[in-house]
Amino acid sequence: MTAAKPAMQRLRDAVNEVDFNRFRFWFQITAFILFVYGGYLAIDLGSKLPFFSCGYNREGRAGVCYLLPLQHQLGRNWAVLFSMASLTILTGFLTFAAWFIVLNKGWCGFVCPLGTLQDWISALRRRLGIRYANYTQGQFAQLTKIKFVLLALLILIPLGIGGGLFSHDMSPPFCLICPARMVLPLFTGDLSQFTIDFSSKTAVVMTALGISVTALFFVGSFVKKRFFCFFCPMSALHYLISKPALLKLKKDGSKCTRCGDCYAVCDMEIKEIADDVKTTNIMTDDCTMCLKCVASCPETGALKATFVGIPIFVSTETGFIKRMNKGCQHGK
Amino acid sequence: MTSLNRLFALLFLLMLSGSLFAEPSEAQKAEWRARREAAGGEAPSEAQRAEWRARREAREASAKADESKPTVVANEERIHPTSGKSAPVPELSHDHGAMGSRPAADKGAVKPEEAARPSGRPAGMGMRGGGGAIWLSDSPPSRGDGAGRGGMGGMMGMGGMAMGGERSGPPSKRLWMRAGSDPQKSGFAREDADAQNETLIVRPQGPLDGEALAPPADGKKNLAFEMPVQGYYRVYASSRKLQGETLNISVAKAEIANFSHGGDEEERAQALTAPRVLDSAPIEIVREKAADEKMFFQLKSGDEQAFVVLQKGLPLQGARVRFVSHEGWSKEAVSDEQGRVSFQVIRDYFPAWDDFKKRFKASYLIIAEANAAEKGVFKDQPYSNVRYQATLAGNYYPSPDDYRSYAWGLGIGLLIVLFSGTAVYLYRRRRVKPFQEVRFDDGR
Repeated sequence: MTAAKPAMQRLRDAVNEVDFNRFRFWFQITAFILFVYGGYLAIDLGSKLPFFSCGYNREGRAGVCYLLPLQHQLGRNWAVLFSMASLTILTGFLTFAAWFIVLNKGWCGFVCPLGTLQDWISALRRRLGIRYANYTQGQFAQLTKIKFVLLALLILIPLGIGGGLFSHDMSPPFCLICPARMVLPLFTGDLSQFTIDFSSKTAVVMTALGISVTALFFVGSFVKKRFFCFFCPMSALHYLISKPALLKLKKDGSKCTRCGDCYAVCDMEIKEIADDVKTTNIMTDDCTMCLKCVASCPETGALKATFVGIPIFVSTETGFIKRMNKGCQHGK
Repeated sequence: MTSLNRLFALLFLLMLSGSLFAEPSEAQKAEWRARREAAGGEAPSEAQRAEWRARREAREASAKADESKPTVVANEERIHPTSGKSAPVPELSHDHGAMGSRPAADKGAVKPEEAARPSGRPAGMGMRGGGGAIWLSDSPPSRGDGAGRGGMGGMMGMGGMAMGGERSGPPSKRLWMRAGSDPQKSGFAREDADAQNETLIVRPQGPLDGEALAPPADGKKNLAFEMPVQGYYRVYASSRKLQGETLNISVAKAEIANFSHGGDEEERAQALTAPRVLDSAPIEIVREKAADEKMFFQLKSGDEQAFVVLQKGLPLQGARVRFVSHEGWSKEAVSDEQGRVSFQVIRDYFPAWDDFKKRFKASYLIIAEANAAEKGVFKDQPYSNVRYQATLAGNYYPSPDDYRSYAWGLGIGLLIVLFSGTAVYLYRRRRVKPFQEVRFDDGR
């Protein structure tokens, strides 16, 4: 008769063998309801959130994405911007970093309402039996740079607006083209963002661009998993400050057999997750930390998520088999 | 596929071009004329057209004459439009001056306010300067109003008032006392030695019955005060003057919303629900807040806005209340048993499309008047009637409905969805390789 396992070990086994997709689905739906409808319950988590809890969702939002106040603050008149008054930019960034540091890019994979929406659109495509699209490695290498370009523009254009180089009708530039501005208010019955602003030529261009990007978002998300996340400047900003984050994705290359299961389930098509057997911190700039790679890994201890160095979700052979026996959960 | 592409490109280019904002073509005008006639509308007669033409020409001639003259404010100081510094100017008569008098050529263009004014009584009682209503404005006469200058605070109903103050200090506010019933053309109110004047300010965390506000110093014309905490700041400039047997009491009120995203949330929440009435005011207009009104409220053209007329904090029934728009159009109504009166803010901002500014800050003015057979003594002189007048100014902005289009937005979105969806479908179809059966001959 084998000795009973310690309670902690039993808990770890339960977590590692969890029906991960179901857990993630419910986690995402809870987060979506919280951040899209939480405002109706007077929930307000501030304006420095590290994901797209869109500020344009005026009634329902439970907090505001940091990119909105950041662009407003950078768009101040230069005389104000380069004065002590701009200490608020620093304090704002520190607040944002404090939020971010907790979940790292897990905010993207588990909490971001726009990411969740893309997952739901992908689920719809899967149910319709339509195959998903992949980028070639060449395309991937080019597209992955776009988010950094957008991040640079997101900072430079407001600075130009504050200096009088660009029209105020361009402010806030990224929000005007972000699909979250149009899509998330829809869930509270607000269609007002689906308009073209004819008050100036700049406004016409920016609003037309916003509508176009949103239309492409719907089509792109339907054929490509996490389509918009490749271009998301918030993802780029996350990556730049991700070093001190508490949640980490780690890989033990010595246990990896390079079977490619993790790559097959990765929504972002990150090849390094399968190929790289040297790097320990395996999170890349495109990673959304959805942890599907950990759930699909058959090698015990090869991939794991840690929080402050403590493993909280580890790949195990038993967990892999359990999940596989549940049916086709991954890779579609 | 190619034609769809072309159609989309054509529509997009059309939208981006300035052609949408161009003057209507002759063909368009002819179409409108035909539509109007088909709808039973009568075309204006030649005599009417001639009259309109004459008025327009007279107006243009007057405008040209005005441009050639220096801007002068009667018996006041001229405020330099950019520096804000004042310089004394000689007392001169002028065409569009302080009391809302109009150029001779403009008198033909009758505005509703003039037609509706009862019994030839002047628009206001003129206890400070010349016959106009006294009101508190957030801009001096020479500056006028226009596109918002930024800033978060504002008179009730609009943001973007002239906020000032040292960058390191609290925000400050300046208000100008103006006389006249036209928000654009009213000049400075002049001091009247015979009148008894008092100015009070009610701060968010100050005494409910207000504190005296220091009069303008150093020859300046504006009332200035700091706004260190968030909330509504109310200024009451009251004046009493005896004219014959009638005591004229006027109360010009300004309400300034000072809110920001930062700061103490509890302080902000308290300020949003705090009472906005001065119980000791002989007459007062209170702008009614909508139930769902947020702290950065902006009144838009087309909105319905209610006001309540109060006397010593109680509703005043039967007061004549006049709403005057930025362009001087007005409407009069009588307050009901709750002292309430409601107006729809008309759209009166019609610039050429290239000059349109969606942040254009227009001013409105509310004037409430009531008479009462009250006897008393003022400055040792008896009176048998009291004429009350209250004013409240505010700002409003163009309605988004004036410059935003759902049809274009949804149309462009739908086109791109169809175009890109079709492109993806065709791309995938092209890559599908036809089925080819491969037979292996194992017998060989």
